[in-house]
Amino acid sequence: MSTDTSKFFVTRPPRPMLARDADSVYWMSRYAERAEHIARILLVNTNLLIDVGDLAPELQERQWQSVLTIMRSAELPQLPPDPPALTAMPGTTTDAPLAQRVAHHMAFSSDNPNSLFNCISRARENARGIRETISAEMWENLNTLYWTLRDAPARFDESPEDVYRQVIIGSMLFQGLTDQTLQHDQRWHFAQLGKHLERIDVTSRVIATRFQILKQAESKLETPIRNIHWMSVLRSCCSIEAYRRNNIGDMDPVRVASFLILEPEFPRSIRFCVGQAYAAIAAIRAELHPQAIDPAERALGRLKTQLDYAEPAEVLKPGVPQYCERIQHEIAEAAVAVQATYFLH
Amino acid sequence: MFEQYEVNGVFDEMFTAKDRPRAHYQSVDRRLRKLNPAMLDRRRRMADVSFRNQGITFTVYGDARGVEKTFPFDLVPRIIPASEWDAIERGLEQRIAALNLFCKDVYGDQRILKEGVVPPALIYGAKMFRREMIGVSVSRDIYIHICGTDLIRDRDGNYLVLEDNGRTPSGVSYVLENRAVMKRVAPTMFSAYKVRAIEDYPYNLLRCLKHVAPARGEDPTIVVMTPGIYNSAYFEHSFLARQMGVELVEGSDLVVDNGFVYMRTTAGLRRVDVIYRRVDDDFLDPLAFRPDSMLGVAGLMNAFRLGNVALVNAPGTGVADDKAVYPYVPDMIRFYLKQEPILANVRTYICDRPDDRQYVLEHLHELVVKSTNESGGYGMLMGHQAPQAEREEFAEKIRSDPRNFIAQPIVELSQHPTLFEDHFEGRRVDLRPYILYGEKPIVMPGGLTRVALRKGSLVVNSSQGGGSKDTWVLEEEISPSGVATSVAMSSA
Repeated sequence: MSTDTSKFFVTRPPRPMLARDADSVYWMSRYAERAEHIARILLVNTNLLIDVGDLAPELQERQWQSVLTIMRSAELPQLPPDPPALTAMPGTTTDAPLAQRVAHHMAFSSDNPNSLFNCISRARENARGIRETISAEMWENLNTLYWTLRDAPARFDESPEDVYRQVIIGSMLFQGLTDQTLQHDQRWHFAQLGKHLERIDVTSRVIATRFQILKQAESKLETPIRNIHWMSVLRSCCSIEAYRRNNIGDMDPVRVASFLILEPEFPRSIRFCVGQAYAAIAAIRAELHPQAIDPAERALGRLKTQLDYAEPAEVLKPGVPQYCERIQHEIAEAAVAVQATYFLH
Repeated sequence: MFEQYEVNGVFDEMFTAKDRPRAHYQSVDRRLRKLNPAMLDRRRRMADVSFRNQGITFTVYGDARGVEKTFPFDLVPRIIPASEWDAIERGLEQRIAALNLFCKDVYGDQRILKEGVVPPALIYGAKMFRREMIGVSVSRDIYIHICGTDLIRDRDGNYLVLEDNGRTPSGVSYVLENRAVMKRVAPTMFSAYKVRAIEDYPYNLLRCLKHVAPARGEDPTIVVMTPGIYNSAYFEHSFLARQMGVELVEGSDLVVDNGFVYMRTTAGLRRVDVIYRRVDDDFLDPLAFRPDSMLGVAGLMNAFRLGNVALVNAPGTGVADDKAVYPYVPDMIRFYLKQEPILANVRTYICDRPDDRQYVLEHLHELVVKSTNESGGYGMLMGHQAPQAEREEFAEKIRSDPRNFIAQPIVELSQHPTLFEDHFEGRRVDLRPYILYGEKPIVMPGGLTRVALRKGSLVVNSSQGGGSKDTWVLEEEISPSGVATSVAMSSA
């Protein structure tokens, strides 16, 4: 057979990608990322209340309510939930401790769109629709995680932490596999875009919600307890170690906020993620519409510039929660623009 | 392990008599006897986990849990000697050639009808006969590019054709995955054999698809079209797209504009040349067929008629695998190819013929009755097992719509040792080889061996509790002493 070598040169036009596939890659990545955050928030909160629950009982309920607020799941649903197999478990009866009820609701409830199980199911469902587009490793990783989680309710109460850790590691493994087994073309860029937008979204909500609560309660708290709370905020964002390297001494709310929002080099900070999301959309746009201007790129570019040049005082002046809300607003605008430009042909 | 194994009457693939393996099974037999139940169980579990984690599943309809199931896999391979395969291969090549000529003929000159070989009423009355295809010029005159033909063996071990699947046969992905899993969990089993490789199937399929692409300047764009992730064979659709490196599309990803087909990409519309569609004719194009179809593409048939896109398999091939047309396939081979059929059919009674119908109604208790257009084991009556009430119900159906039914004597199917709990028992098997028809026919060596996992059951369909086995076609002949000798392959 003769081979036409000219086909192998770089001038070959990039391979087109189905709009539906781009949509699925994006959401697959978002849901996998969301699961990681939820698992971490649950893990951190459980540990925090083991430490301080008895000392500040009035905080306990507020603390769990805040978890629900972060996940936009305002109220605990009336129990028992399905599947029926769960009803026999301690966490699913109405007289179970609040912590257990929230944990079950957030981990397995099918009514809660953001439960760990629903997030991983949706990530997997999206992946299943594009198995030919992603790598076999990515698919097998998500699929295995899904089956692990399906079998998890039975052993959950024994050690919720085990389950949370499995989800965290599984999700991180997934993002790592995406980096290492997928060509860094459109598909990868859409995955990056989804991942970073999700991370910005959750991180900004964690900061906003916790600031609200802690500010109100701060006067009542003694320094050691206060420190523990602020540490838990950083832990929820996987940022405690990085923060400590940069800030020695007590936990300072202003420093915590400016670190989580403005730190330029830390992959969990909002500024860093906005930069990455911007790079992803810019790469996609450059490949697909070299001459055009892209509304999503514009929205993220503005936000990126704003954060790149912001001073901590600018964040504090309107109030940290308010600043975070503005970020969320712009992120939502960018997400809608991505949808309109690339997924809805 | 084999203590309770029975060889009784039906053809046994592995043994001539109790503890007397055929020459080509001797090495497998020795290895199986060395395994204890715990080792077998471990291997079976390895295989199960491997299938589940890779998501090699199918969906069972009508199950409230709407579940993905893994296709049960049996660890004992089915082995076919080289000489036996040689005859099967030639028989299948002959058959697909005749079926393609038949399709071209019934949608063209209709010589076979005019000359009285096949009754015209049978064809015009076929549900899958597509008037829309009459007079349409089809790329390279190929209608059935991919065919899965089901073979069974009678008491004497003769291979018989049970049916041809010339629409959208499925299962080939399981053949490839079964081999991969077999190599993983039982690598030593292969050691005494030269098993013919099957891994080039996706490559051959891609070549076959390219062969029918409409000519234009650049590389053709080829896609696999699926009804979506809830289809029972979705795994396979995705598997084949991945193996060929082409896009997997759903109907909503495609659009027809001015007689050309395009797919919606992130960069806009992009022209499509060949569609390996795994969507039934009925749902392909709401303008041509069922108007309520949400799975198809409006205008697709028009683009096809204009020759701007190739559909694989072509619409209308269902007329060739209609179960009431099947009895005429040997006559087609004689008519078009002037050859005698190499593979025989199963004796079939066509209920539309008054004499046959009379016979069928009188002998329901010893016949299998099949609806002519169903597949997957649906719409069937196993006369010898069914209760009286069900037989009467079928008799009534046959009287009111005879065209829709055929009947066949109960062919016992061959049996094969299959792991059951902690020992081996005989279970019935069939064989579905896959034939590609592009530049020339290519028969995949082996195919899907399906096994009825329930004792005594003759229904091997995955939707009815069937499993499958890895199928080995040997490159070399094994002499009665169990020693391999080289055999020249018949095709280059």
